[in-house]
Amino acid sequence: MRVLYCGVIAVCVALASASLAQERLRVVTTTTDLRSLVDAVGGERVDVTSIVPANVDAEEYQPKPSDALRLKDTRVVVRVGLDYDLWFDRLLAQATLSQSNVHGIWRGGPGYVDASANLAILDIRGASVGPSDGHAHGSGNPHHWLDPKNADIITGNILEVLARVDPQNSPYYEANRIAFLQRLEAKIGEWTAKLAPLQSRPIIAYHNDWAYFARRFRLNFAGFIEQRPGVPPSPSHLAELIRVMREQNVRIVVRQPYEPEKDTRFLADKAGAKIVLLAGSVGGLPGARDYISLFDANVAALLAAQESQ
Amino acid sequence: MTDAVALLWPPFLVALCLIGIHAYFGIQVLARKVIFVDLALAQIAALGATVAFMLGHPTQSAATYGYSLGFTLFAALLLAYTRAWSSRVPQEALIGVIYVVAAAAAILLIDRAPQGAEHLKQILTGNILTTGASELWSIVPLYAAIGILHFALRKHLTEARSWFWEFVFYATFGVVVTSSVALAGVLLVFSFLIIPAMIGVLYADTLARQLALGWAVGIFASALGLAASFAFDLPTGATMVCTFGAALAVAGAIRPFLRGGARGAMQGAATAARWALALVLVASALQLMIAPRAEQPLLNALEYAMPALRSAYLNSTEAGVYDDARDYAERYTREADQLNVSEARSRAEGEALDDFAVQRISSFLKSYGEMRKGEEFVMNEVRGRARERVRWALGAVLLVAGIAIAPGVVTRCFSFYRIHGM
Repeated sequence: MRVLYCGVIAVCVALASASLAQERLRVVTTTTDLRSLVDAVGGERVDVTSIVPANVDAEEYQPKPSDALRLKDTRVVVRVGLDYDLWFDRLLAQATLSQSNVHGIWRGGPGYVDASANLAILDIRGASVGPSDGHAHGSGNPHHWLDPKNADIITGNILEVLARVDPQNSPYYEANRIAFLQRLEAKIGEWTAKLAPLQSRPIIAYHNDWAYFARRFRLNFAGFIEQRPGVPPSPSHLAELIRVMREQNVRIVVRQPYEPEKDTRFLADKAGAKIVLLAGSVGGLPGARDYISLFDANVAALLAAQESQ
Repeated sequence: MTDAVALLWPPFLVALCLIGIHAYFGIQVLARKVIFVDLALAQIAALGATVAFMLGHPTQSAATYGYSLGFTLFAALLLAYTRAWSSRVPQEALIGVIYVVAAAAAILLIDRAPQGAEHLKQILTGNILTTGASELWSIVPLYAAIGILHFALRKHLTEARSWFWEFVFYATFGVVVTSSVALAGVLLVFSFLIIPAMIGVLYADTLARQLALGWAVGIFASALGLAASFAFDLPTGATMVCTFGAALAVAGAIRPFLRGGARGAMQGAATAARWALALVLVASALQLMIAPRAEQPLLNALEYAMPALRSAYLNSTEAGVYDDARDYAERYTREADQLNVSEARSRAEGEALDDFAVQRISSFLKSYGEMRKGEEFVMNEVRGRARERVRWALGAVLLVAGIAIAPGVVTRCFSFYRIHGM
C-alpha cells in the first residue's frame, strides 16, 4: 500500500514539475548581459536565451534563420537599445510577419523591453539612426550596462514587463530583483574600493566602450584608438595618442578580446604600456560568467596590470 | 613634424618593399589577364589559416602558416592547370568563383567559433600604418628570394609555355600576396599590384622601363598618400588607395597630350568638358523647375563656395530668418559640445556628478539635438520657398547657359537661321 502511495505521489510530483517546466516564461535577449540580468529577476520561472554569442561584436551581428524561429512562443524580448542592436528591429518584424505564434513582442508591444529606457545616457551627439517613435533621440553611448548602478533601472524595466506578462509571479520577480540589487550594492562598494588606486592613472582604450564604467569608478579614459567604429586610426590621431601617453605616463591600454590586437600592440609598445583584456560583455573573459562576475573579472584584470608595474 | 616622420617612415619602407615586388607581379598579371587573382589567392590563404584555427593551432604558428601555404599551392595548381581549359569561358570567371567560394567556406567554418569573424577579419585587413621594423625583417628576405628566383627563371616565367612554369608563377605570387595582405589589407595590396603596373604598361614598352616607371609612380603616390593621411587626419590605407587612383587618373588624362599631338588632345578635352558642364547646367535647370523643393546639388555647392549668392534670391526678411536659424543651430551645437566635454571630464576629475545631474545633462543634450534639427528645418524651408519663387527665372538662366555652353549648338542654330530665316 505504502509503495502505491509513494508511486502516486512521485507521479503527481513528476507531472506538476513537468507542467511547471512548460509554464516557464520564454524570454529572448539580444546580449549575454541582458540574459544574465533577466536570469537574476526571473530566476527559475523564466527560460531565457540570448541571441549574440559571447565575444562577438553585437553591433555587427547578422541574425540567422534559427534566431527568427527562436522568437516563436517567446513572451518577452529584451534589447540594449540606443542603436546598439539595430538588426533586432528587422528580426522582430520578420518573425512577426512570417510566424503566427509570435505575440506582443513587437517594438512597443506589451512584451518588449528597451533596457536603455529611463537611463541617464552619456555622450549624446547627433541624432539616432534607428526607427524612432516620433522624437529625435540623440543615440548616445550604448554601453550602459557597464555601469553596475544602471542595473537598478535595467532590472526595473525588465521587472515591469515580466509582471505585466506574467502577473501571477510578480511578487516572486520583485523579491528576486531586490535580493539581486542588494548583492550588487555590496559588490559595488567592494569594486570601488579595489579600483581606488587606479583613479589617478589615465588609461587608453581601443574603443569608447567604457564611458559608463569610467563614470561609476571615476577612471580617466584619456583617449581611444578607434574613434569611429570600423575606421582605422589616422597617423595624426596615433601621434597625438602617443604624445598623450608619454606626457601623462599612461601605463594601461585596454581592449576587448574581439578587438584587433595589432594596432593596440603597436601603440602599447611605442609608449611602453601594458595591454589589458577587459570583457565588455558576460562571457567575454573565462571568469565573466554572469553580470556580477563580469565586473569581478574586469576589476581583477585592471588590478593585476596595476600591481605588475 | 618629427612625430610625423617617426610614425610614417616605417610604413613608407614597408610600402617600398610591397611596391617593389607587386609592380613586377602586376605587369605579369596584366599580361595574363587575371586581374583579380590576388584576391582569390589571399582568400584561399585565409581559408587555410581558418582551417588551422579551427583545428586548434594558434594564429601565428608554423602550423597555421603551413595550412595557408598548402591551400595557396593547391589554388596555384588549379589556376595553372586551368589556364587554357576552355576558350569559351575566360579564366577570370574561375578566379571569381575561387574567391567567393573560399570566402563563403571560411564564413561557414568560422560560424561556430568564438571570435571567429574577428579572426578572419584580421587576416584580411592589415593596417600599413602600424607595421614596422619587425615586419620588414620577415618580408625583405622572402620578397628578395622570390625576386631573384623570378629574375633567374625570367625566360620560363614570362613566357609560361607549360603548366609547370605557370604553377611556379602562381605559387610564388600566392606566397607574396598572402604575407602582404596581412600587412596592408586587400584594397591597398590590389592598388600596389595593378596601378603602378598599368601606368608602366601605358607608357613604356620593355619590361625594364615599365618596372622603372611603375616603381617611380608607386613610390611617389605612397609618399603623397602617407603625407595626406597625416595632414588631413585620414585613415592611411584608404588615403593611399585614393592617391594611387588619382595618380592613374592623371596618367590617363595626360597620355593623349604626350602621344597624339597636344592640339588635338586639347580640343578633345575642351569639347568633353563643355558637354559635361552643359549637361550639369541643363539637368540642374530642369530639376529646379520641376522640383524646386528637392535637393539641388549644383545650387547647394555654389552657395557653399560663395554664401553671398544666397542673398541674390532671398529677400531681406528671408535672409534674416535664415541667418538667425544658422546662428542658433551653431550655438546649440557648440553648447552641446561644451556640455559633453564637461560631463566627460567630471567622470574622473573634481566633484563627481550625481545621477540626477547626469540625467539632466542627457535630457539637455537631447533637447539641443532636437532644437538644432528644428533650426535646420527652418533653414531648408526658407531656402526651399525662395527657390520655388525664383524657379522659372533662375531655371531659364541655367537652361540658356547650358545650351550656350554645349559645343556646336549655338553655331548650328545660327546657320539654320541664316539659311531658313532669310
